[in-house]
Amino acid sequence: MNRKVGIIGVGMSKFGKRNDVTVRELSWEAVKEAFEDSGLTQRDVQLTVIGSTAYRGTEIYPAPPVSEYCDLIGKSPLRVEAACATGSSAIFTAVNTIASGLVDLALVIGVDKMTEVDTATSLAIGGRGGNYYWEFQMYGTTFPTYYALYATRHMALFGTKEEDMALAAVKAHKYASYNEKAHFRNRITVEDVLKSRVISWPIKLLDSSPISDGASAVILASEEKIRELKIDTPIWIRAIGYGSDTSYIAARGEWVGLNAAREAAYMAYKMSGYSPQDVEYATVHDCFTIAEIMAYEDLGFVEKGKGTSLLREGQTEKGGKIAVNLFGGLKAKGHPLGATGVAMAYEITKQLREEAGPVQHSFKKYVALSHNVGGTGHYAFVSIYSR
Amino acid sequence: MDGIPLIMKYTLPAEELYKPFWEGLKRGEILGTRCKKCGTLYFPPQKDCPKCMASDMEWMDIGKVGEVMTYSIVLQKPQGFENFSDYTIGIVRTEKGIDLMCWVIGTPKVGAKVFLTSDGQRVLCKVRS
Ligand SMILES: [Zn+2]
Repeated sequence: MNRKVGIIGVGMSKFGKRNDVTVRELSWEAVKEAFEDSGLTQRDVQLTVIGSTAYRGTEIYPAPPVSEYCDLIGKSPLRVEAACATGSSAIFTAVNTIASGLVDLALVIGVDKMTEVDTATSLAIGGRGGNYYWEFQMYGTTFPTYYALYATRHMALFGTKEEDMALAAVKAHKYASYNEKAHFRNRITVEDVLKSRVISWPIKLLDSSPISDGASAVILASEEKIRELKIDTPIWIRAIGYGSDTSYIAARGEWVGLNAAREAAYMAYKMSGYSPQDVEYATVHDCFTIAEIMAYEDLGFVEKGKGTSLLREGQTEKGGKIAVNLFGGLKAKGHPLGATGVAMAYEITKQLREEAGPVQHSFKKYVALSHNVGGTGHYAFVSIYSR
Repeated sequence: MDGIPLIMKYTLPAEELYKPFWEGLKRGEILGTRCKKCGTLYFPPQKDCPKCMASDMEWMDIGKVGEVMTYSIVLQKPQGFENFSDYTIGIVRTEKGIDLMCWVIGTPKVGAKVFLTSDGQRVLCKVRS
């Protein structure tokens, strides 16, 4: 990157079923908090990037109403979309705009309201999140089905069990219980997960992240701007790696990990000079429990097929070797698609600044990573941050 | 308050383009396309070969037997499939090395040998007992 870029303000709305607000008020909850956090105002913003998949909500072109409500007219609202990696693609867009020298300060808003349509409609929209013609139309794929195909293969090749996957859900709910902004704050057991309704075997209801509404916001600035503003706690974005894979899931050749995530991770490690061993804290894309296990492997925290061992040994818990998703993950914090990647940057900023309260991780080197997958590995962004 | 509904209904494009595929399915044949210039076999079928930039393709059977690579049983169905009973979606690798999505008939297992067939609308694979 030509210029160093840092995060100087973060905000996040309460995630959950938010029929008390429209997409506009919901966005403002996050944007207001990011302004207060940074001590800046709309006047400082040169570019607004809005990450939203929008399709499940009433506002299918959300950038204009959101930017109007947040008093950001004239700040070039630009909307980007990359399915569940939408938030990271919005950050990627803003970071590159700053790194290139075009602007010095940008606001990223991630938002989606997914509860405005019923579950069957939501499943149909998600099921089209691959290759419509050759998947959804002919076979009635759902989004959980795509990940279930990975889970079945992972189970067959590596002996991963439904009980192992359930551990990821138990961990997510445990940490979400400390997070006032999380969708679910109840604790669950392995038994609860195993007994929950089967959605697309082997994936059950409690293996799945919920359909959520939520917004998050980050303010990014160039190193020069950060000095000028005299901000002493920026969180530096050291690298953003990206990767992609086929839309037709059958064409991927193997179904035990995500090629897109491995490519993105490789690029991010190379760009930053850090290795998996340097990472002390990570947010991983646990839209389903199997996704968390594959993330450990794809990110190089453990070798392929051994992801469950980290869960069983508690190495990704608070105080573990690499703490993962201590805000509850997508699974329990919630997964409003556009907000998720931006909420990962929020979480990492809170952790690296040591503002994470009861779930504060203790850092030595202050190196953290976010892993945000779009679709079922159609895209992936892996970002590395340091203090 | 209920919002104004948005009802969308699509007409599938490229009906002529993929007609041989749909006709093949009715005969129980699963067809892909092969580039006459470089020999690349495509499934799903494609009109164009982006590898060598040619668009001269021939239709070709992708095989009759295969192996289950993975599968999932769909209980919670999406809009449009509510009236189907539970179905099993699988990924099968054919004898010609093509991987494709299908519905699995019978009790699947990763590694199970299957016969490829069709109900005229989609590819089915039957587990060999
Ligand atoms: Zn060719």
